[in-house]
Parts: sequence; structure tokens; C-alpha cells
Amino acid sequence: MDSRFLMFVARRAVNAVITILIMIALMFAIIHLVAPTPQDLARLYVGTHFTVPELNQIAHRMGFYQPIYVQFYNYVTGIFHGNLGTDTQYGIPELLVLQEYFPVTLNMVVLGTILGIIIGIFTGAIAASNRNTGTDYGIKAIYLGTWAAPIFLVGVFLQLVFAYELGLLPTGQVANPTLAIPPAVTGLPLIDAILAERWVYLYSYLRHLVLPAVTIAVISFGGITRLTRATMVDSLDKDYVKLAYMKGLPKRQVVWGTAFRNAIIPIITLMALSFAFTVGGSVVVEDIFSYHGIGFFFVNAAYNLDYPAILAITVVVGLAVIIANFIADILYGIMDPRVRLT
Amino acid sequence: MEPEEPGRPRRLRLLKGKGRSSTVAVHDEAEVPLGETSGLRFIAGFIRRDKIALTGAIGIGIFFVFGLIQGILETVSDYTHNLALSYSILPSNPFTFNFANSLAPPTFANFPVGIFGYDEVGRSILSRILYAIPKDALASVLIVISAIVIGMFLGISAGYLGGWADEILMRVTDAFLAFPLIVFAVALSLILGNGYTVVLVALTIVWWPTYARFFRAQALTLKSRGYVEAARLSGLSPLSIIIRHIFPNAIDPIVAIATLDFGNVILVYSTLAFLGIGVQVGQPELGSMAASGLQYVPHSWWFPLFPSLVIMAIVVCYSLLGDRIQDMVGGRLSY
Repeated sequence: MDSRFLMFVARRAVNAVITILIMIALMFAIIHLVAPTPQDLARLYVGTHFTVPELNQIAHRMGFYQPIYVQFYNYVTGIFHGNLGTDTQYGIPELLVLQEYFPVTLNMVVLGTILGIIIGIFTGAIAASNRNTGTDYGIKAIYLGTWAAPIFLVGVFLQLVFAYELGLLPTGQVANPTLAIPPAVTGLPLIDAILAERWVYLYSYLRHLVLPAVTIAVISFGGITRLTRATMVDSLDKDYVKLAYMKGLPKRQVVWGTAFRNAIIPIITLMALSFAFTVGGSVVVEDIFSYHGIGFFFVNAAYNLDYPAILAITVVVGLAVIIANFIADILYGIMDPRVRLT
Repeated sequence: MEPEEPGRPRRLRLLKGKGRSSTVAVHDEAEVPLGETSGLRFIAGFIRRDKIALTGAIGIGIFFVFGLIQGILETVSDYTHNLALSYSILPSNPFTFNFANSLAPPTFANFPVGIFGYDEVGRSILSRILYAIPKDALASVLIVISAIVIGMFLGISAGYLGGWADEILMRVTDAFLAFPLIVFAVALSLILGNGYTVVLVALTIVWWPTYARFFRAQALTLKSRGYVEAARLSGLSPLSIIIRHIFPNAIDPIVAIATLDFGNVILVYSTLAFLGIGVQVGQPELGSMAASGLQYVPHSWWFPLFPSLVIMAIVVCYSLLGDRIQDMVGGRLSY
């Protein structure tokens, strides 16, 4: 950890914080452009079934008559204090709703993304090392197909085949609903179940996780395959690869030991982007598999025009993505020292 | 071939990959010296040798020509209140209920009405898919072009001017890109009110930052080129430099990205429709057909499957063509 690296981390951190502030300002601006009067704002936050005097009262109570900069200050501090509004459907603070649903999605999306990255890197490396052969074209045909497939096609297809036709896996839900949910310690069902030693629940949870996570992996691996293939093709043309061949190393060792290690670095940035993409995709995946995570809740909120929930989810998901990008940047800096200089 | 203006290279010249090897061998036979590539020869070579990209191009051509004709018919029928006109070139009326055919499986009887099966009230799924095509075609074109225009202005000015303008643009695009596409698009279209136009606006808002960043990167590299410096030294104003030199040279590589992006727009647009965003009740829409068909899975698998497969086919065509254009722009390929 030299000082140059610390500077690099500090600069990225400042950038991330500025981005978060701009993102919040953006949300605030959108809300206030759409609902310019205090009554409109109150209606946005509490729903339509109120009379105008009632709305006025609510607007006063929620501070919508204050000057705009005070409102902005309150909005920003509110978000950092975890005050994301009150849900109009359930009548409880959004933070509690998010605490309930977000970890479920995070668990699924992270596992799905990791699976997608593994598939993508391997298929990409295999395609590159067999450039312009049947294997290469075959892999390209597969990823073009999955890349072009709408998320719901992949989800429905997997559900049809593995759940309905073959009956191997459950069709939906987070776990068998008759089993007691383990006490929330971390919020992540996987870790909670292990901590509470609920092995039956864990087994049921993992079985229910397979189809949504595989759907996520299938829709996300194409981009990674493509990039891995491109960087590997470049890397395989380098002199150090030729040298490795000349030394008489077997192809397997040259591809995976020499070329692969150098090709992997640019892919990290794509991983963070892939995370953002799959969080968005989880909205559809959870809808198909009735998987009660944040995406399911988001779709529900959209149907019921539950604006506080929609705004809260958008902000929280944006925060998660910025943090993921920040982590990717730092990882990139650790793996490739040249990046720290810029 | 018309004479070339200095400083404004014709499109084909950029396809050659500046200053690298004089020939680029893709297929072993017929290495065409790059200096001799003309437009006609390029097209002829494309048709003769590149069957895969040609398939993509033909698919997209059919998609757009049909979308245009059907779109005009739909618009005219909308204004003249003559509903029959809107489905005059379709195999059957996409709106009439026929409960005798309710959820009937795909059949070759009464070709081609029934080849994709029937929905829950006995409407031909094929007719409904065809009726929905113009909206997807229009959405992909409008969103990508507006995103390019917005991104071009902001990205090129930020990249060329640098300093604070650049810094602000980068952080703003970071903030925009932090929202997952689908989540942000749903939130925006709900806040702005529901409808087709709203979805177009929402998707444009979501889409421009990528292009802004791309054009910024282009401007940054072009800025240090000799001809731009020469123009600056000769006293040309920044605006004229941007218009005369940066813009014409930055637009070429964008073609490949845009071609790939048309497909992405259709994917996201149909995903929004799947979630019920921007869909009018009763109007066919590829995504919403898939969503309503989901209730009849697993028995009537054809109902959600065929609309989704049509989306997939369109996006595959775009990818095939876009991939190849990217190779050409990157200088890896020539005919």
C-alpha cells in the first residue's frame, strides 16, 4: 500500500461520493419537475385518495411548503439517515421494506452474476484459443442467441423445461413456503440459514435459487464472452505468448497460464456493469419466478403506482451500483498498477 | 465517386483503418488493396462473401420495410377512423374475438393465420405480432437517434472544451449510468405518466449518457490530431472546429455501436411492455403478449414463446450486422 495507491483510492472515493450526490439531485429534480406544487408532491407521496385540504395538511407536515433548497437539504439528509419515505401500500417505512426484500435479491443476483462471469470467461477463452474454428463459431452462435433473447424468454423457457416438463426444480418462490424462515441475522437467506443450522430450509432455498440464478447467468454471460474473446485474441498475439510456445509449453498451459492471466484485467470493469444490468434484469426474473425480492416488490409497486417505493428502490439500487463500480475500480487498480497513474 | 473534400473523409476511407497495413486479409482469396475500394465493389463483395451479415441485413430490411408500410397504414387508419385499413395487409383481424379458436395450438390449416397459434380469445398470434412491429421499429430508431444527437452535442463539447465542463458531464453521466436501465426506465415512465410517447422519452433519458461518453472519448482522441491543431492555429473558432472537423470524424465509429444498440432498445422496450409499462389496453405489443401468455404456461406454451422469439430474431439480425460493421470500422475487415 504505497501512498500513490492511497491517493488513487481517495480520488475514486471522492468521485463516487460526488456521483451519489448528483444521482440524488437528479432524483430530486425529476420529482420536482413532475410535481411542481406542494399538493402534487403530497399526492405523489401519499396516494390519490385524499381531498385537497387533507393534501395541504400533509404537504405542510412533510415540509413541501419550505423553500426548495431546504427541501433538497432535507431530502439528502433524509436519504443518508435511511428515511426513504413511507410505503403507501403497507404504511410502513420504505427502509423496513427494503431490508426485507433487498438481501434476497442481492443473494440471487450476486450468485447469478458470478455464474455468468465464470461461464463467460471460460467460453470466451476457449473461443479465442480456437479462433475461427467450429468451436469458436459454435460459442458465438450460442452467445448471440442468449444475448439477443429477451430476459422473459429465457426465464419462461427454463421454467417450462426444468420445472414444468421435467419437474426437476420448483417453479417459483424463494423457498418452500411451509418451512419457517430462519431468524434474520445478516438478512441474506443463504447465510442466515447456515447460521441457524436450518439445513432443510437451506436445501429448499438452494433448489429454488437455481432457476432464477441460471436465468441471470444466461442473460449476462454473452457480453463477458465477447470481451474475454477479444482481449484473449489480443493477448494470444503478444510476444510473451509466442515465447511460451517456443519454450515448448503445452497449449493448455500457454492459454490458461500465460495469455489468460493478462487478458482477465479489462473484464473487471465489465463485471461491475454486468452487475448493474443483472439488477435491472432481476425485476423481470423475479416477476416470472414469483421470487419475492426487490424486483418483485418493484413491479408490484409499479402496478399500484406506489411512488415512494419506486423512488426508494431506484435510489438504493443506484447506490448499490455506484458502490459496485467503486469496488471494481479499486480491484482494477490492484490488479493493473498502470491504472493508478491516471 | 464524387471528388473528396479535404478534411472531410468519406465514410469508406474510415473503414480502412487509418495508417495500418495497406491490405487487410479476411478471407484468404482476393486481398483487395484498400486504396481501390469503391462503394459498389464494397457492396458487391459484401453480398458475395458475407452471407451471415447479409442475413442480418435482409432481416432488418424486411423488419423496417414492413414496419414502415404497416405503420403508415395504422396511422392513416387512426386518422380516418377506418380500423379495417390498419390490418388490410395482415393475415387476419388482430382484434376480433373468436372463442372457437381460444388457445388453439399452432396449425398449418388456414395458412398463415394459425402458424403461431391463437391467444386466449382466439386472435391469431401472428397477426398480433405483425400489428405490433411498427411500434418497435419506430422506438428503436427514434430512441437511438435522439440519444446520438443529445450525446453528440454534450459529449463533443465536453471532450473538446475539457476542464470543468468535462468533469461535470462525466459525473452526471456516471450518475445516470448508475441506475440499472430497466429500473430507471420504469421509474421515469411511471413518474412522467403512462403511454407510448412517455416510454420513448424515458428511454431517451436513459440512453443518451452512453453516447455522451462515447463522443467525449472520440473528441479527446481527435483533439490532438494534426488537422485539428492546424485548424486551431489558423484561428478557427472552437465551434467551427467541432462542426467541421471533430463531428464528421467522430460519427463513423458510432455506426457500429448504434446498429448493435437498435437491438438493445428493442429488448428493453419489450421488457418494459412485458412489465405493462407504456402499453395501451387491447393494443398488441410483443412484450405484453409474452406477459399475458405467461398465465397460460405450460399448457399454451406458444402464446408467450412466439412473440419472444420474434424479438429475439430481430435482435439477432441487428447483432449479426452490427458485429460486422464494428469489424469494418475497427479496420479489421475490408472487402
